[in-house]
Amino acid sequence: MMATKRKVAKKLEPRKRKAGAPPSVQVAENTDDVRRLLKLLRNIGKPIGVRMAALQSLGAAAFSVANFESVNADYIAALRDVSTDSHEQLRRRALGILMRNKDGFAQKKLLNGLKDPAKALLPPEKALQLLGNDVHAEAYAAARAIVKKPPNKEAKREALRLLAADARSAPLFEKVLRDKKELRENRQLAASALHSLNPEKLQQQALKILKDKKDYSDIKATSLTALEQFGDDAALGKDKVLMQSVTRFGAAKAPAKYKQTARRFLSKYGR
Amino acid sequence: MDVELQINNSIAPEARFVTWSPSPCRIRVTNPSGANTPTVSVKITGVSAANGGAVRFRSGPTGAFASTLTLTVPTSGATVPFFTAGTFGQPSTSNGDVKIEARVGNTLVGSVGLMVRIRKNASKLTNAERDRFIAAFAKLNNQGLGRYSDFNNMHKVPNLSQAHAAPGFLPWHRAYLLDLERELQALDPSVALPYWRFDQPAPNVFTRDFLGESDANGTVKFRNGNPLEFWKTDSTPGISRTPDFPVSQAPPNPMKEAQTLALGTQFRTFRSMEGDPHGLAHTSFGGFIHDPPTAAKDPLFFLLHCNVDRLWAKWQRQNGRFDPAATSSFDDRPGSRPGHRLNDTMWPWNGITSATDPTRPPTAPGGSLATSLCVGAPGLQPRVRDCIDYLGTVNAGSNMGFGYDDVQI
Repeated sequence: MMATKRKVAKKLEPRKRKAGAPPSVQVAENTDDVRRLLKLLRNIGKPIGVRMAALQSLGAAAFSVANFESVNADYIAALRDVSTDSHEQLRRRALGILMRNKDGFAQKKLLNGLKDPAKALLPPEKALQLLGNDVHAEAYAAARAIVKKPPNKEAKREALRLLAADARSAPLFEKVLRDKKELRENRQLAASALHSLNPEKLQQQALKILKDKKDYSDIKATSLTALEQFGDDAALGKDKVLMQSVTRFGAAKAPAKYKQTARRFLSKYGR
Repeated sequence: MDVELQINNSIAPEARFVTWSPSPCRIRVTNPSGANTPTVSVKITGVSAANGGAVRFRSGPTGAFASTLTLTVPTSGATVPFFTAGTFGQPSTSNGDVKIEARVGNTLVGSVGLMVRIRKNASKLTNAERDRFIAAFAKLNNQGLGRYSDFNNMHKVPNLSQAHAAPGFLPWHRAYLLDLERELQALDPSVALPYWRFDQPAPNVFTRDFLGESDANGTVKFRNGNPLEFWKTDSTPGISRTPDFPVSQAPPNPMKEAQTLALGTQFRTFRSMEGDPHGLAHTSFGGFIHDPPTAAKDPLFFLLHCNVDRLWAKWQRQNGRFDPAATSSFDDRPGSRPGHRLNDTMWPWNGITSATDPTRPPTAPGGSLATSLCVGAPGLQPRVRDCIDYLGTVNAGSNMGFGYDDVQI
C-alpha cells in the first residue's frame, strides 16, 4: 500500500525537466491525489514553480475529479493559507480562486488592504478586480474612495469597473464619458457601465459624441457600436443628423479600424 | 419552366445550411410552361463563389456523392428527393456563397443559395467571419441581460455535477455548445461556433479585435468598436483572464491532440481527457476561465469547449464510435449519477429540478434545447445517447447539424 502511495506521489511530482524550464503539470485522478497536491501547495520548502504547478493541477481537478466536494473544504483552507504567502504570484492566484468562489475570508482581507495599504496582500487594482466577483456595499465605498483619490490609473479603472454595477454611480459614468480629458480607456468603460445602468442616457451621450466634430475616433467607434448593437433601430434609422455625422466619420482621417465601424453601422441602415 | 429546390426538405431560408453530413432535399416543378412531357430531365450542379463553399449530390440515402446529379422530375409538381452535402475541405465563409443550380438542357430553371456551415479553427477565421461571430455573441449577452445569462447560470454551483466528473461530461457539453450555437444562429444564421486549438499557437484569437488582450492586471482589453467591449456578466462589465503562457504560443501543459487521440479506443478511457487536456486548458489562465463556477463568464470558454468536443469527434471518427448502443462508444454505468447514464435525459433541458428529483439542481435555466430548421436531433430534451451519433452516421435522424473543418464524416 505504501509503495503504491509513494508511486502516486511521485507521479504527481513535476515531470523531469531541462534546467530553467517551468515544471510541467499532471492532473489528479482522485481525492487522494488532491490531498497530496494540497500538501505540495502548502509546502513553503518547495520551489514556487512546483507549488504553482500543484495549484494548476488542483484547479483542473476541481472540474474533473469525482467527489471533489469531499475535499473542497480542504482546498479552500489551503488557498486561505497560501493567500498570505511571500510569493505575490501565488497570492494573486489563490485569492482569485477564493473570490471566484465568493469566499468571505478573502473578501475581508482584500477590503482591509484597500483601507490600509500596510495590510494589502495585492496591489489595489488587483484587489478591486477580484472584489468585482462578489460586489456589495462595502466594496462600493472603497471603490468610490479610490475614484476620488486614485493611487494609479489602473486602480481608478478597476474601481470604475466595480462601480458599474452600482445604480448610484450612473451620474459619475455620464461625467467620465463626456470628459475629453479623461483616459479613453475609462471613457470606454463608462460607456459600457452607462449602457447597463441607464441605456437611454448612453444613447443620448453617444449621439452627442458622434455629432461632436472634436471628439476622438476611438470613443466615436465605441459610441457607434453601442448604438448599432443595442440602440433603438427605428429611431436611429430616422435620425438624419446622426447618419450625416456617421458618414462624415467614415470619410474622415480616422484609422481604418474605426472607419470600418462607421461602414458597418451605415450598411445596417441601408446607407 | 421553373423548379423549386428545397434544402433540408424546406423552402425556408433558415433551412439552407448544410454540413458534411447528407441533407435531405427535394426538387419539384412549380411552373411547367414549355414542358410537353410528363417528366423532364433536370441536372443540378453546385456553383461556388470565390472562396465559397462547395456541395455535392446523390440521389438516395446511400451511395457515392458526385458534383452533379441528373434527376427525372414529373411536370405534375410532385417532388423528387435527393441528397446534398458539403464537400470536405471547402466550407463556406458567408451565407449563400454556394448555389445549387438546376438546368433543363442549358436553360437555368431554378437555383438556391446555401451555406456549408462548419465549425472552424478560430485562429483561421476570415475577419468577416470573426466579426459576425463576436457581434452575435455580444448581442446574445446584451449587457448581461440577454439569453446568455442562462448559459452562464447553467454552469454554476450547485449545477456543476450535472455536467462534470462523470461519463456525461462530453455529451452534456456537446448539447450545451449546440444550444448556444443555435441561439447565435437565431441572431445571425451564418455563424458557427469556432474552436480554440489549445495545443497550437493561436495568434489571431487573443487580440483586441477578437477575444481581447489581457493586460498585466488580467483585465481583458478590446479595440473600441469590438462589440465585446460591452460584455457583462453577473452585473460586472468586462472579462478577467491572465494567461500563464505567451499568447503567441500554445499553453505548455495541456496534452497535444495526438496524445489525446491515443488515450484509448474505449470511451471509458478516452473520457479521462476531462482532466488533461480539458482541465489543464482551463487552468492555463488565471481569471474567470480558471474555475468551474465562473468559467462560462468568459466567451473563450465556448471556444475551448468547442475544441474539446472536436477532439471527441475526431476520436469518434478514428475509432468508429458513433453507435450509442455499443459499449465502446459510452461509459454507461448503472451507478452513475442521474444525467450521466446513456438513457438519462440531461438537465437543464429536461426541466427537472430538485422539487421533483433531489438529485437535480433547484432551477433549470433556459428551458428546452433550441430547435433547428435544418435537423430534428437531438430534440428538445436530449438524452445522453442523443449526443453520440452527431453526424447521423448510424442513424441519419441523429444528425445534430454541425461538423468540424478537419473531421471528415
